[in-house]
Amino acid sequence: MIEIKNVTKSFSSRRTIDHLNLTIPHGKIVGFLGPNGAGKSTTIKMMTGILPIDEGTITLNGYDIEKQPMEAKKTFGLVPDHPDMFLRLKGMEYLNFIGDIFNIPSDIRKERIERVTKQFSIYTALNDYIQTYSHGMRQKIIVTGVLLHDPPIWILDEPLTGLDPKSSYLLKEMLREHAEKGNTVFFSSHGLEVVEQLVDEVAIINHGKLLFYGTLQELREQNPSNDSLEEVFLEMTNDA
Amino acid sequence: MMHKTFLLAKTMLKMQYRNPDRKASQTFMYIFSFIILLPILFVYIDIMRGLVQSLYQAFEPIGQESVILGLLFLTLHFLLFFISMLTILTTFYFSEDIESFIPFPFEPYQLLISKAINPFIYLYITASALYLPFYFFYGTISGASILYFIVGIILLLLTPIVPFSLAAILIMFVMRFVNVAKNKDRSKVIAGIATLVFIIGINVLVRINTNDDAFIENMVMFLQEQDGLLQMLTGFYPPAYLSTKVLIGIATGVGVLSLLGVITLCILGFVLFLWLGQLLYLKGVLGVNTGNKKSFSEKKINKSLHNNSVWISYIKKELKTIIRTPTFLMQCIVQSLFGPFFLVIILMLDFGNNSLANFSEAFSEKSMILTLFMVSIFILGANPTSYTSISREGKNWYTNLFLPIKPKQIVLSKIGVASLIDLLTIGLLLTIMLFFLHVPGEILAIWLFLTLLGSIYTSSMGTYLDFLNPKLNWTDEQELFKMRFIGLVALLFTAGIFGIIVLILWNIQYFQGSLQIAGILFLCLTSGITIIQKLLTHKIKKKYHLHY
Repeated sequence: MIEIKNVTKSFSSRRTIDHLNLTIPHGKIVGFLGPNGAGKSTTIKMMTGILPIDEGTITLNGYDIEKQPMEAKKTFGLVPDHPDMFLRLKGMEYLNFIGDIFNIPSDIRKERIERVTKQFSIYTALNDYIQTYSHGMRQKIIVTGVLLHDPPIWILDEPLTGLDPKSSYLLKEMLREHAEKGNTVFFSSHGLEVVEQLVDEVAIINHGKLLFYGTLQELREQNPSNDSLEEVFLEMTNDA
Repeated sequence: MMHKTFLLAKTMLKMQYRNPDRKASQTFMYIFSFIILLPILFVYIDIMRGLVQSLYQAFEPIGQESVILGLLFLTLHFLLFFISMLTILTTFYFSEDIESFIPFPFEPYQLLISKAINPFIYLYITASALYLPFYFFYGTISGASILYFIVGIILLLLTPIVPFSLAAILIMFVMRFVNVAKNKDRSKVIAGIATLVFIIGINVLVRINTNDDAFIENMVMFLQEQDGLLQMLTGFYPPAYLSTKVLIGIATGVGVLSLLGVITLCILGFVLFLWLGQLLYLKGVLGVNTGNKKSFSEKKINKSLHNNSVWISYIKKELKTIIRTPTFLMQCIVQSLFGPFFLVIILMLDFGNNSLANFSEAFSEKSMILTLFMVSIFILGANPTSYTSISREGKNWYTNLFLPIKPKQIVLSKIGVASLIDLLTIGLLLTIMLFFLHVPGEILAIWLFLTLLGSIYTSSMGTYLDFLNPKLNWTDEQELFKMRFIGLVALLFTAGIFGIIVLILWNIQYFQGSLQIAGILFLCLTSGITIIQKLLTHKIKKKYHLHY
């Protein structure tokens, strides 16, 4: 479970997140929507300890990200929006590094790496430098790193960008399976079709404020005049 | 056309120099560093004044003072040529932004002119640092006219053009026709090592030649002619010869003709560079790659699967990144070995093996410990591994923040990595002392103990300084090692502080025993390390709002 309580964040006196309150329960896939610059990435960065919080608290499975960072960081896996990291390591070296950080035993490590990388069709590239990977392959190796330590909370920032249709389908299945086991999946996306297919609940944010949180059904009921999710989204986030 | 070139150049410069994250504290740091470095600047200027004065006093009575300016121009051209080689390779071929510009409808020469501006900024800064004090003091000492000072500035503006054009033409040919150069990483390492080998090679040749009898005979012959030495030194390289002639014959026909000659050479060089660039540049830049995919081996994958502790895993990751990133490999490892290696060459060629053996007899135990300790602290303090610890991560620094590793553990691992790399330098220094200087065993043991501690001190200090003000928004690794004051500040807080301590100990007669000296240095080093650790812990807690 993720609990965001009264969180505020400003950058040089401009308030990016304004008293945000959001509770993501266990066993749900929650889509995080908002136009560019709405505050999605800032929220994710505060949830994962990358950015300090100005006011309020964020807890992950009961651990405060600022007061108990080590415990909190062990409960989630993050797929950031830019997968260009650890480029000078080989794919296998990166996965071993993640395995060491999260203390994953060798046998489990071997089984998971082999299974997931074969599913993603990157197994034969594990001995290559990540620098030589395509954008999609880099995305897949980062997702494999998250699956390697199998945390109860998955946080993904635009996870499907750059993935081929097969891998995209596979990742969506994985997200569904993970939530069905009673875990939490929180992801930001601009792809409204993906959101419609996948999420149990949706959170819409604009100018750092939460505009809506609930199921897609509830969203449609609140906006009966609009036929599609796209129209609802455009109307809600329209600044004019 | 010129408008497009100007627009392109402006955009490229903005991308290089704009820092959206600049804070007031960073500006303060720059001002603070500048104030601290100001006395060093005065010392440097004074050294240059002394050098020019003594050279002038030596050469003026025999009518060969023109050789001083010849030497200046020759050194400048060589230096600028080498700097150009490295910066051209990086900015023209290996910088990440070149791919963004290739799809736009720009002519190759427009890309070249825009890309050349940044290397030229470096060249002008380097040239000014060497040229301005030298030419100014030569002018004042020789009582030159106002025309000399005006034309001197014009020459400074012209000087980088020829070495830059030569280096660019050479590199464009290599990149177009040599296949091995197509691999970014491999070429960077080869180019870097080749430059160092070349510098050492020239040094060896010069040192061997100075002992030659024939050389001395030639020298005597040249000395008998007016400006003969200048002819001997710069005759083979017209740009340096003509530039000198401009300054020494400032108000004469020879001076004017020489200036026209220099301008013609610059125009010719630059036009040739643009013309060849138009033909060769894009063909060379396309297809540059960062590495090949290897053949798959399941055995290798299974072999690489093993568990390590977080400490070892993190340190291994850091070391692999340094070794596999050519710029880091060159700056952090190869160049840190270059200093001691250079020392060996000078010691061997200038003193010979026999006289070196007397080193230990010539010094008292106290002076030997202090001298050896100071040399090693200077070499270790200059190693950039520590003061780029955090900055090397660049935009990926944030990945450290969401992994469950304590920030202190990350920083300590980085200090450990810097100290591990120092071990290579210490090993080389140890070999020099053991086999060339024949330092007695007891002194060697004390030196080794103090130097290992010194390495922890210099690594902690560099890492701490970088932690205070890391440069994370870089687009090319080279930016971490150029135009940053941090290297000098780190040297000031390592070699500078211990320089003062050593100087005090040297002059206090009360302390004579080697153990006494070692004890005091041990106390200073451990106190220094403890203070930095405390400061680091405090800063980490403050920066990451830690509550534990």
